[in-house]
Amino acid sequence: MRAPSSPDVPKQSAITRLGILTMVAIAASLYLVFFEAREADAAMGGQLQRIFYFHVPSAWAAYLAFAIVFISSIAYLRTGARRWDLLATSAAELGVLFTTLVLITGPIWARPVWGTWWQWDARLTSALVMWLSYVGYLLLRGLVLDPTKAGRLAAVVGIVGFVNVPIVHFSVQWWRTLHPSGPTVADMERSSGLGSPELIAFFVSLAAFTLLFAWLLAVRVRLGRTADRVEQLEMKLAT
Amino acid sequence: MSELTWLFIAFSAVWVGIGAYVLSLGVRQRKLESRLEELDRKD
Repeated sequence: MRAPSSPDVPKQSAITRLGILTMVAIAASLYLVFFEAREADAAMGGQLQRIFYFHVPSAWAAYLAFAIVFISSIAYLRTGARRWDLLATSAAELGVLFTTLVLITGPIWARPVWGTWWQWDARLTSALVMWLSYVGYLLLRGLVLDPTKAGRLAAVVGIVGFVNVPIVHFSVQWWRTLHPSGPTVADMERSSGLGSPELIAFFVSLAAFTLLFAWLLAVRVRLGRTADRVEQLEMKLAT
Repeated sequence: MSELTWLFIAFSAVWVGIGAYVLSLGVRQRKLESRLEELDRKD
């Protein structure tokens, strides 16, 4: 008989509803980005500046993912509960995905605007280090065979690795970099150089990527729970 | 290359990347569910 689903497992109907909401938000953001937001100045890449509407929300989703890895890792070390370990692993996988998108879209914008794919400036280098540290986190999980030991080691990496996240974010303010600095919350319109249609497109895109991240996380956690149930049944049948 | 070509490449990279990840999650989930059903029958 199949074991009843754990209360920790995201319900399929809730995941489906979240998925539909995500698709609607993505469709709205695509409409706003391509039909409402105006072309930027040539210095920012003109039409190419529209990459910004996917590049920045991807970075935001990555920050969110690594913050969840950090909190879940602390919770796992304190409680030893498998659900925190699973949440941390799932979030780390998503963080690596979104950072990969940041590291791909950034150079695509930089090549025609800066004339080079890559600059070893503080923002780009710290973002690459962040990506490498979480790839290391995922590799470590695969290399250590004992799941408890792997969970504890990964949790330490997840906590230490998070130190780099604020460095990535504030690098454009702390050091002189080629990377454009972000807008300030106090005066978004003036500091970003964006008008109302562009700011609306940006925030809708940010919301769409946040929903996308939440949906992918729910799907990934469900996958991990199913894998756990398979493992438990295999062990039960083996004994 | 024109600005629009670069934009198309970046846009495709984002959605192909996300699409490929979603697809891989779906494939892994289906494989695990069929294995679970197989084990349920044996149990």
